[in-house]
Amino acid sequence: MITLLTAVFGVLLSALMLYLMRRDHLQISHGLGWTLAILICSLMGFAPSLFDAVAVGIGVSYAPILGIALAIAALVIKALLTDIEISKLKTREQRLIQKVALLESEIREVTGRPPIDD
Amino acid sequence: MNAAIVMPALNEAATIETLFHDIQTSVSLPIWLVDDCSTDATGDLASKMDVKVIRLPAPLGAWGATQTGLREAASRDLDFVITMDADGQHNPEDIPALLAPLIAGECDVSIGSAPDRGSRLRRLAWRLMRLTSGLRCTDLTSGFRALNARAVDLLAGPSASSLVYQDVGVLLMLEKAGLRVVEVPVAMPQRADGKSRIFRSWLAVAHYMAHTLLLSAAKRKRPWGSR
Repeated sequence: MITLLTAVFGVLLSALMLYLMRRDHLQISHGLGWTLAILICSLMGFAPSLFDAVAVGIGVSYAPILGIALAIAALVIKALLTDIEISKLKTREQRLIQKVALLESEIREVTGRPPIDD
Repeated sequence: MNAAIVMPALNEAATIETLFHDIQTSVSLPIWLVDDCSTDATGDLASKMDVKVIRLPAPLGAWGATQTGLREAASRDLDFVITMDADGQHNPEDIPALLAPLIAGECDVSIGSAPDRGSRLRRLAWRLMRLTSGLRCTDLTSGFRALNARAVDLLAGPSASSLVYQDVGVLLMLEKAGLRVVEVPVAMPQRADGKSRIFRSWLAVAHYMAHTLLLSAAKRKRPWGSR
């Protein structure tokens, strides 16, 4: 039953990803990682024996725990990458805010015009 | 002398006029007020007093506002910049003493230092920060500083934009770049009006301390165990 649920979950997520990318709610570069995760998820659902073989091959006696461990590791890495990206964006945002403030101050000095309202 | 005073401000309308008056009678330096999205008349009052006002379109905090002024200074090739708070804690009469070691070429940054101010808890916090950061400065949190062009260029750069507070992170960056920092003793009375932005609640203090101690340990330059 769980394999069927995993497969259905993978298919539904694939459809959602495609929809989000088509509507530009998710950039293709971000969609790549998610698509890879969904493919692995679907593979676990449609071909569980393949996953069992991999688990046996690397010495994991209980195959489902390998899936859970991999999923947790993937989520932690994803969360870390997201935080790195947010840090970069915050720095860029701060410098842009500063630049806008300095340019507006310069414009006010030269033209006497008040700053543009948001 | 090609210099300016950079002053970050947030809702300081009650005291700002008196402060500008005091500065303008003490030193003849241009004042650049960086308004961190005040909701009172801070920026408008400053505009009426022959002060250059830089209005941030979104709040950046004290360090982000100060850095805005430093970027302006860097673009204008100023020789020296003085940073001071707008809450009346820093006495403008101390500015010449702060600038003196810079003009003499004895240092790159001078800090208006009052290590005896504040509670025992604050002094304990400073001791912890010194222990983790390896910094030798006695007043780690003073925003009353004078900087030469080299220090301004460094702190105006993108790497300083990731800092949240203007204290330990800035001092560690100066140390890493090999810039010379000296402390100049000054008197620092309590804030004339309003509450501290950083120490507004116990939760804020806890966050500030955790943030600063982690930053100190991560960016420490001196080997552990050396003082």
